[in-house]
Amino acid sequence: MSVSRFFIASAAAVGLTGVACAEPAAPAPADSKPAPAAGGHAAPACADAKPDCAMTVHPAFDAKGKLWVAFSVGKTVYVASSTDAGTSFSPPVAIATASDGVVDAHGDARPKIVPLADGALLASYTTRPDKQMIGTIFTARSTDGGKTFSAPQPMLTEGGQRFETFVVTPKGRIYGGWLDKTNALKAKADGKEFEGSGVAFGWSDDKGQTFSGKKILMDHACECCRMASALDRDGQPVFLWRQVFEGNIRDHYAAKLSADGVTLDGGRVSDDNWAINSCPHHGPGLAVDSHGGWHAVWFTKGKKRQGLFYARSEDGGKTFSAPEKFGDDAKAPGHPIALAAKGGLYRVWKEFDGTTTTIPMQISHDGGRSWSAPRVIAQTEDASDHPELVANKGAAYLSWVTHKEGYRLLPLPRDEKRATAQ
Amino acid sequence: MVKLIHAVARHSLLAFVILSLVATSALAIDFKPYGRGAFAQIAKAHAGRPLMIHFWSVTCPPCIAELPQWSKMSAERRDVDIVFVNVDSDEDRARAEARAEKAGLGKATHYGFADDFVEKLYFEADTTWRGELPFTTLLAPGGGITAVTGAIDDPLVTKWLESRK
Repeated sequence: MSVSRFFIASAAAVGLTGVACAEPAAPAPADSKPAPAAGGHAAPACADAKPDCAMTVHPAFDAKGKLWVAFSVGKTVYVASSTDAGTSFSPPVAIATASDGVVDAHGDARPKIVPLADGALLASYTTRPDKQMIGTIFTARSTDGGKTFSAPQPMLTEGGQRFETFVVTPKGRIYGGWLDKTNALKAKADGKEFEGSGVAFGWSDDKGQTFSGKKILMDHACECCRMASALDRDGQPVFLWRQVFEGNIRDHYAAKLSADGVTLDGGRVSDDNWAINSCPHHGPGLAVDSHGGWHAVWFTKGKKRQGLFYARSEDGGKTFSAPEKFGDDAKAPGHPIALAAKGGLYRVWKEFDGTTTTIPMQISHDGGRSWSAPRVIAQTEDASDHPELVANKGAAYLSWVTHKEGYRLLPLPRDEKRATAQ
Repeated sequence: MVKLIHAVARHSLLAFVILSLVATSALAIDFKPYGRGAFAQIAKAHAGRPLMIHFWSVTCPPCIAELPQWSKMSAERRDVDIVFVNVDSDEDRARAEARAEKAGLGKATHYGFADDFVEKLYFEADTTWRGELPFTTLLAPGGGITAVTGAIDDPLVTKWLESRK
């Protein structure tokens, strides 16, 4: 046996041991998170297996109006549900425990939960097993209302993937998009320069049991920023991501995936000219309204503009409106996200004044042409997740987890003037 | 037989290496905790000397790629104090250590983010920083801080280093 073969076998053995430990029959005990290492490292706010103690929480409502959340505590990924708008949660169900790496659940990265029309659930998460940026996306399904989940399956077993996002069409097809390092690794092996990751897509017609396609359709996405997705009115998914253009320019690109999942049709959102060899760790937000308008929100520190910006496309991504600035530059605005609901178009983001983190909100009732004055709808004075927006039966909610206050789900007003007057 | 013993010894060594990589509790590099107020404390501790505070992460390929350049510069510019701050959480610290060691920065001064209130940590270093990396603050001995997003060969860094000579 050669040394290298032994190394692989040993590494596999370590992994297998981990996998054996990684299938808890029941939710992990409340004190499952190991004590913080010595050396004065701050303890987390709490370490229980509940959304309150997670760094990131991804929300989604099912067809019956039940709220589902995916989150991780320590190295275990959980799913829980709430029937009282996030005030209380069901006992969490452990999906998996990362055995030989970390669960990607910081900043832009987070486990996901996707409720399907028939009550089934698809959960996903990414682990980063051994090297930086090289991850594996796993999916697991529940067909018994979230009581149990199937053994997680890797989306792909080669290359390296991160930042998965899913869109379910009215016909029930699940489209997945993610950033894929496969071509970058090939280029590296050949000693060639390669900027960023590929943008890859796949789809499932069997409720997430298997995914087809799984191909890189475009190269050179910025590899450390989340990809955003939304459903267009024609039933096809739209994706938005930070792309590395010629000259290391890290601006945004939006595209619709064709029904057969093999072509992308879209264009550049704006020319911010952020030419930088760096990782912004700061992905965009995307909403598509009922008229088919695409609404993009993003962060840039480009030569042409810096801060948070909004632009829309009414021709399927061929052209975008001039970028419109929002947020208070004196408060480091960041992590914008947008949602189209029956009440209107919403955008929220994070601001920080040195002491307090706030979530300002704006509503538009004219397809993004004009917006209500920004109003702070939530705040905290310690660590917090990026804000999430989630819709239920046409109503919009802010979903946010903060160290001090725990998880909160906040209904957003349909009309800002009326809300202010109350 | 000799060959077999040799093989076993090599395998044991490899097993030890693997176990060492897996274990995260005992790091050879002492990543001092970087929490609220750390930026001002480090600046104070190095007052009177030119200081570069360099922030990096294992999830930032440009950061990893340029670590050896930082190592080279540390050796060449003994007149400048350089402090490295790994912004990853504890669970990524072992791989941060491996990266720093590989780049020849095992003996450098290292801190690691020890507080999840990252907005506060960013803000204290530079009020416009949102966490983009690599990120470096250049502190002149007489005061004056320059914040640089991007690579070590950024003209702002080169110019600042030149002005310190």
